Amino acid sequence: MVRGFGWAAAFPDEVWEHVFSFLAADADRNAVALVCRAWHRIERRSRRRVFVGNCYAVAPAAAVRRFPEVRAAAIKGKPHFADFNLVPTDWGGGAEAWVEAMAEGWPHLEELRLKRMVVSDDCLELIARSFKNFGVLSLVSCDGFSTAGLAAIAANCRNLRELDLHENEVEDNCLNWISHFPESFTSLVSLNIACLEGDVNTSVLECLISRCPNLRTLRLNHAMPLEKLVSLLQRAPQLMDLGTSKFSADHHPELFFKLESTFAGFKHLKSLSGIWEAGPAYLPAIYSVCESLTSLNLCYATIQSPELFKLVSRCKNLQRLWVMDLIEDNGLIAVAASCKLLQELRVFPSDPYGVAPPISLTEHGLVAISAGCLMLHSVLYFCRQMTNAALLTIANNRPNLTCFRLCIIEPHTPDYISQEPLDAGFSAIVESCKDLRRLSLSGLLTDRVFKSIGASANRLEMLSVAFAGDSDAGLHYILSGCKNLRKLEIRDCPFGDKALLDNASKLETMRSLWMSSCSVTLGACRQLALKMPRLNVEVIDERRGRPLESWPDDFPVEKLYIYRTVAGPRSDTPPCVWTV
Amino acid sequence: MGDQSNSPSSSIDSSSSHPALCSTSSIFQTRRDLLSTDLKLGLGLSTSALHGCSSKEREQLSHWPPIKPLLRSTLEEKVHRSHSKTFFVKVYMEGLPIGRKLDLFSHSGYDSLTRTLRRMFRTTIICPDTSRVPPEKAHVLTYEDKEGDWMMVGDVPWELFLRTVKRLKITRADKC
Repeated sequence: MVRGFGWAAAFPDEVWEHVFSFLAADADRNAVALVCRAWHRIERRSRRRVFVGNCYAVAPAAAVRRFPEVRAAAIKGKPHFADFNLVPTDWGGGAEAWVEAMAEGWPHLEELRLKRMVVSDDCLELIARSFKNFGVLSLVSCDGFSTAGLAAIAANCRNLRELDLHENEVEDNCLNWISHFPESFTSLVSLNIACLEGDVNTSVLECLISRCPNLRTLRLNHAMPLEKLVSLLQRAPQLMDLGTSKFSADHHPELFFKLESTFAGFKHLKSLSGIWEAGPAYLPAIYSVCESLTSLNLCYATIQSPELFKLVSRCKNLQRLWVMDLIEDNGLIAVAASCKLLQELRVFPSDPYGVAPPISLTEHGLVAISAGCLMLHSVLYFCRQMTNAALLTIANNRPNLTCFRLCIIEPHTPDYISQEPLDAGFSAIVESCKDLRRLSLSGLLTDRVFKSIGASANRLEMLSVAFAGDSDAGLHYILSGCKNLRKLEIRDCPFGDKALLDNASKLETMRSLWMSSCSVTLGACRQLALKMPRLNVEVIDERRGRPLESWPDDFPVEKLYIYRTVAGPRSDTPPCVWTV
Repeated sequence: MGDQSNSPSSSIDSSSSHPALCSTSSIFQTRRDLLSTDLKLGLGLSTSALHGCSSKEREQLSHWPPIKPLLRSTLEEKVHRSHSKTFFVKVYMEGLPIGRKLDLFSHSGYDSLTRTLRRMFRTTIICPDTSRVPPEKAHVLTYEDKEGDWMMVGDVPWELFLRTVKRLKITRADKC
C-alpha cells in the first residue's frame, strides 16, 4: 500500500465519496476508514447509514459527531433474552439519550429504527419535532410509549412514509391517534399497527388509506371486526403486504362473498399475515391470492391441519412460511411437495405448556422440508422429539442453511430412539453447513457438541444455548473457537468462571455475552472487569439487598451481561444492575 | 427437570386445568377482549390468586420455551377458549366406590349444581340456601380446594369456587 496521502489527493474528495457510495456494508466502510486519514475523513462525512447493535457500546454524541451526514439510523437496546422476560423491565435501553443527540446533530435524519428500547412519548414528540424530512419510524419490541406519542408523530411528520410498529407494548390512552394525520397527509407507504390492542377508528383509517395512493403495506390489529376489514380493504387494492385483523365472525354468506371478492381484487399481494382467530369458514376467501404469495405468516392462526394444508398447498411461490405446529408432519410433507421455492420456515408451538393432547409434529416434518425445499436456508422449529439421524439427514440435505434454530420443548430431551445426547446431530449441522450464521441448540447435549461448534462453526455469529453442557469445557470450546462469534446467550448451563477468565480477550471481539442461571461467581466478574477495561460487566440481581461491594467473591451471579464498549460504564443502571 | 405430567388432559388430578384458568387472567390484565359469560371467570382475579395458581413445573422452567410475549398471550387466549367449554371434576359419594364426573362450567351456580347432583346421586343435598330437608335424610356437599382442604360448598361466590375447586364429595349430613 502506498504511504502518505499523495495518491489519495490525486482525486478530489467528491470522487472518493462517489466510489464509497457503492459500499453498502458497514464492514466495508469501516475498512475504508482505516486506510488513511484522508479516506477516514471522506468516509465519515459521507456515511449515510449507521447501525448501532448495542446502544451502550458508544456514546450517542460521539456517534453523531463522527458521522455528521447520517440520514438513517438503526439502534438496538436490550439483550435478546429480554423477549423471553429474562431481563428486568427496568434494565435500561432508554432511547432518550440517543434521540436527544440525534435531534441536535442530525437534523436531516429521515429514518429511525429502534429495537428492544424503552421509548417514551417525550421521545416520540422530540422525533416528531426535530427532523423536518422524517420518513421512516420503525419500533420493534419496544415499550414505554402510548398512542399519545403516536398522535404526535402522525400530526407532525408531514413526509412520513413508513410507520412500523412491530410487537411493541403500547399503552392505549389516545383512542383517535390516527385522526391526527392531517387531511393533507398523503405520503404513507407502509403502516403496521398489528401490535396495538385498542380499537382503531375504521372510518378515519379508511379516509387515510383512500388518500394515500402509494400505500403498499398495511398491517392491522386484532381488534377490527371482519365486516369493517372488508370495507377498508376495498379502498386499497394495490396492497402488496397485508396483515388482516380478526378473521372470524358468525358465518354470513354475504360477508364471505365480499371478503372473497376483495381478495380477488388484490393483484399485487405478496405477503399475508394476521389472520387472528381464523375460522375454517372464512379461510377459503384467501385462496385467490395464494398463488402469488411469497410470504405467509400464520403463527397467530390456530387453525387445524386440514384447513392449513388446503391453504398452504396452494401457495406454490412461497418463500417464507411461518406457521403453528398444528400443520403437523403431514402438512409439512405437503409443503415440501408444493412450495419448492421455500427459503424460510418457522414452526411455532400451539401448546408450549403441554396441557392439550399432543399433536403429530415431529422430526419427520422437518426432514421432509429439508429434502423437498432446495432453497431452504433458515429454520426455526419447535417440536417435542428429535433424533441424531434426523439431524444428520437435514445437515446432508441442506448444507446451505444459514440459520438453524431448533427448540425441543422439554429440556434435556435425548434422541428418543437411541436415548443418546443430540451431540452427533448438531455436530453434523455445524460441520455440513459452512455458512451457518445463527444457531440455537436444545435437547440433551454434552460438552462434545461445543467442541464441534468451536471447531467447525467458522461463520457463526449468534449462538443460543439453554440447559446444555456438562462443564466449563463447553463454554471454553465456544469462546476459543467460533472466529466470527458476535452474540452468545446462555441460560441454565453449568458454565463457570474458568472458561470466562481464560477467554477474556475473546469477549472484546464480540458484541455481547449473556449468561443466566449458570455457575459464575462475583469474584470472576471482578477479575474480568479488572482485566478488560473496555468491557462492561453487568451483574443483574433482582433479589436486591446489600450493595454489590459487600458481597463476597464466591457469591453466585444470577444474571450476567457483558458487552464491549468505548463509552465506559453507563450511568443509567437501575438498582438491580451493577457494573462491576 | 422433566417431570411434566403425561396424564391425559381429561384427568382432573393433574393441575392442568388450573394453570389454564390462572394463565388466562394474565391476558385479561393486558388485553381487552370481547367477553362472554364464560370468560367472566377471568375478571376480578387478583394478582395474589394468580401467583398462587402457577404450577410448580412452570415455576421451575421460568420463561421457557422461548416464545415472544405476543405469541404467548395469543396462545393463552386459545387455551382459555378450549378450556372454557368444559371443566370436569370428580364427585364421590360416601359409601360409593366409584366417582362420577361433572362439568362445572355447564352450571350457572350452586342451585344448578345441587339439582344435577340430586339427579345423579338420587339424594337431597343441603346447600346454605335450601334448608328444607330433615338432616337425617340429606347429604352435605363438600369440596377439596387446591390447598387440599375440605370446605363446605356454597360458602364462597360461585366464580371463586370454580377457581379453587378440585373435586367434590357428598357426605351424610348427620355426620358433620
